[in-house]
Amino acid sequence: MECPDLTALATMIPDARTPLHYRLPPVPVLLSAVVLIVCAEVGGASMVRFKLELTRWARNAMLARPAVHGLVGVRDVDERVLDEALVKFDAGLRLFHLHAEGMGLVILATTTVAATLASSPAPRRSIIALLTVGGAGYPLGYLLWSGLIPYHGLERGKTIAEWLVWIPFGGATIVALWWLAGLLALRLCRH
Amino acid sequence: MSRNFGDREGSNLRRPPLAVVLVAVVVIALGETGGAAMSRLKPQIERYVAARVAANPQTHGLSGSAEYDDEVRDRAVFAVEAGLSFFHTHAEGVGLIVFFASSLVASVVPWHRARTALYVALTAGGLFPLGYLVYGVAVLEAGRDAGIELAERWVLTPLGSAAILSLVGLALAIFLTLLKAQEPLE
Repeated sequence: MECPDLTALATMIPDARTPLHYRLPPVPVLLSAVVLIVCAEVGGASMVRFKLELTRWARNAMLARPAVHGLVGVRDVDERVLDEALVKFDAGLRLFHLHAEGMGLVILATTTVAATLASSPAPRRSIIALLTVGGAGYPLGYLLWSGLIPYHGLERGKTIAEWLVWIPFGGATIVALWWLAGLLALRLCRH
Repeated sequence: MSRNFGDREGSNLRRPPLAVVLVAVVVIALGETGGAAMSRLKPQIERYVAARVAANPQTHGLSGSAEYDDEVRDRAVFAVEAGLSFFHTHAEGVGLIVFFASSLVASVVPWHRARTALYVALTAGGLFPLGYLVYGVAVLEAGRDAGIELAERWVLTPLGSAAILSLVGLALAIFLTLLKAQEPLE
């Protein structure tokens, strides 16, 4: 009978044992993370390259909706309102850039941990799905917020982005992260 | 089992001890939760800070002059919010650093004691972002300048130094492993 290689056995990772090597998460998860990071890079570059065009577009869209932004037709007052909205518009784009880069890496790291250390298939799949969908969707909320500011104003734009994107997707990520942390803590206690 | 570069090439990335992975995941989770709380509870946080400042008038140097006191309160609110914001950004970043760096330690550093020391230093460094929570609380309880100094001296500097030392140690270990791998076989 052929004797199995002990090193290979140690890393074959039966569910009851703690694996010594990382397992990769499914390819679509890796792809989502990489695409998110690419979007962040492209977003950051576009923000710089098309700063003037973006600002001009947002300003014109806001001037076309004076009631939404509370513009009164007095230049001194209106310019202050427009400046504030443009600062937030720019901040939304910056936050998209930052969060997309960060969340791409968070997806890579945390789904790898889940793929390796969450031994039961159902929780593993759920955690990986929540981390991927939540992590990839959350930064898009900042793009949405920026896009909504010229049309719906600062506060209404923020509320829409919050309820459509930040709360569901951010919530999914937070739930998945604490779920994963709980599983790891449990595993550590058993050891 | 040998851990030379030659053996590592083409092999899977090893994982660090569970405790280190747990610290990385918990720190990232705290960062996410802190960011969400900061955004959703902004008015409540501002009210709480204002109430704590009002409850500690001597610590914050309130004078009774409304204009001056408002400025002091605004500065305290700003410092606490900055602490929370730094906590959010650092926790996300440092959690990832602990995860990736400790995986490198597990995969590349061939010496058991060096690995253990690096894990300990990395884990301590991973707690660095908690210093910004201490920063926020200390500003409220000890006053702005004293609070910032307390958090920097007793929490941020030691934990930050541990993180820096661990990364320098990792770089050194990789360099030594590389040198060892290039030595001709006798």
